[in-house]
Amino acid sequence: MTSITETDPPLQTTRARDKREALYPYLLIAPSMITLVVVALIPFLYAIYLSFHEARFGRVTEFAGFANYASLLADERFWNSVSVAATFVFIAVPIEFMLGLAGALILGQNVKGRSILIPLLFMPAMMAPVVVGLLWKIMLAGSWGFISYNVFERFGMFPDTSIFASPDYALYALIFVDIWQWTPFMMLAFFAGLQALPVAPFRAAAIDGAGPLRIFFRLTLPMMTPLLAVIGLLRFIDAFKVFDTMYILTNGGPGTSTETPSILANKMTFEFWNIGEASALAVIVWIAFFIFCNIFYQVAKKRLNAF
Amino acid sequence: MQTSDSSSRSTLFWTGITVLYAVVVLFPIFWMGTMMFKPNETMFARPTEWFFTPTLDHFAYVIEAGFHWNLFTSFLLCTLSTGLIVLIGTPAAYAFARFEMKAKDDLFLFILASRMAPPVCLVIPFYLIYSQIGLLDSFLGLTLAYMTFNLSFYIWVLRSFCRDLPVELEEAAALEGWSRLQILRRVVFPLLRNGIVATAVLCFIFAWNEFLFAFMLGGRTVETLPVSIPKLITAQGVRWGEMAVVGMISLVPVLAVVFVLQRHIVRGLTMGAVKG
Repeated sequence: MTSITETDPPLQTTRARDKREALYPYLLIAPSMITLVVVALIPFLYAIYLSFHEARFGRVTEFAGFANYASLLADERFWNSVSVAATFVFIAVPIEFMLGLAGALILGQNVKGRSILIPLLFMPAMMAPVVVGLLWKIMLAGSWGFISYNVFERFGMFPDTSIFASPDYALYALIFVDIWQWTPFMMLAFFAGLQALPVAPFRAAAIDGAGPLRIFFRLTLPMMTPLLAVIGLLRFIDAFKVFDTMYILTNGGPGTSTETPSILANKMTFEFWNIGEASALAVIVWIAFFIFCNIFYQVAKKRLNAF
Repeated sequence: MQTSDSSSRSTLFWTGITVLYAVVVLFPIFWMGTMMFKPNETMFARPTEWFFTPTLDHFAYVIEAGFHWNLFTSFLLCTLSTGLIVLIGTPAAYAFARFEMKAKDDLFLFILASRMAPPVCLVIPFYLIYSQIGLLDSFLGLTLAYMTFNLSFYIWVLRSFCRDLPVELEEAAALEGWSRLQILRRVVFPLLRNGIVATAVLCFIFAWNEFLFAFMLGGRTVETLPVSIPKLITAQGVRWGEMAVVGMISLVPVLAVVFVLQRHIVRGLTMGAVKG
């Protein structure tokens, strides 16, 4: 809809107008893009700058080359945080994915009262992560939390302490909280995808007398694959950057047993005040995220035709 | 008769399972809700006490400690940042949906990346820059910081709403000789109103829930509701009842939003990839 004009003006003005027309979209995006450059690109570039300098206690001193990166990559604590995050993501996300898909299929049956159930099931995903942390502190903390007392104590688990204080199980408690928070959302997202599938192939299959399992594996699953991939990838990216809930519940402890790169970067900055190395960590995480984003974008664009 | 009987039985079965799941999922929220009214001595009584004489002490303390100011701060900050985002983000979303541009794909990826970037990575440079230019603990500082994730989110999702609009209306208006501004104001924005409201409300909620930026870049002047919650862990012990009150208050807008926006939440949280 770029060049629809009323009459035929002289050539000169047409050219001037064409030029203006061509500028129009850039004019529309300019305020936003300038803002984003200021609030996203400049901090990023500044983080890169910091990562190549010796910077402690808020004072940037001398150029350090790759020293920050070298000491970070030699730090066992960094590799521990990577493996903690990997454990967290690779256990939580597949479980959320499977349960969410099962839930979506259940919700797709004759369920009454969806108009009330669906909004309520959105609650965990939409609420503040700090409140999620608070909720599970109440449920699981100490030996007096609701579940600690009514379930764990009854079975003689974690006597006199909280599951969050147990080096072996704290991470699994965090994984459980993440599953609690995100499974309902996965279920509703998959359900929305199911509802959007065309009806005709399913009718045809039913007429041909295909069983429900056959319909699921031959029709539903293949048709849903791009959508499943996109939602799964997005959840994967989000799970890597979980911070608030962990900060409230364990803050990386006990020891370093639940310390993810996010928690470690935060500690490096605001507890050890080693800003150079923290920035190096931030840059590495950032690059990893950029790669994930790119994959997400390509998959969503090509397979789902979404963007 | 037989089929309708079996179908009503299957309705009962599947509804029962779904309701059971919803009850299990929502139970912690319900439990925190009851703690708002629980006297301290029954809060963590062993064995668990299900029935208790309700008290309003926790509410009294929350008001006395000035938490309504935190509520006000949160509200002001979220409204401010969301308003600004709608103002500058709407034309951008429209432009991205309608026009061909040079390096559009790269611009997109940049927008997406600034949305997805882990907040911890951003907060470090933000903190240092702000401490040098004196933007720590200011509304302007936090409004700007919230733009990193919310402006990019807004553009991205609103763009998917723009793409749903039929282009023919704009073409007809152009044929009528309307100017571009008129087309935007009289055709595009009215048609886009639902999308704008839905996306803006989601932005508001993200800002409302935000913790890390508010915690690190805020302070005594700008202290939002989520940041005020950990304050209730005092030297005299944890004020659970008060925490429950503040937590439940912060859930009120969320509760309103899930009921009003339910169709758009999936679309929002999947960056427009899934149309709910």
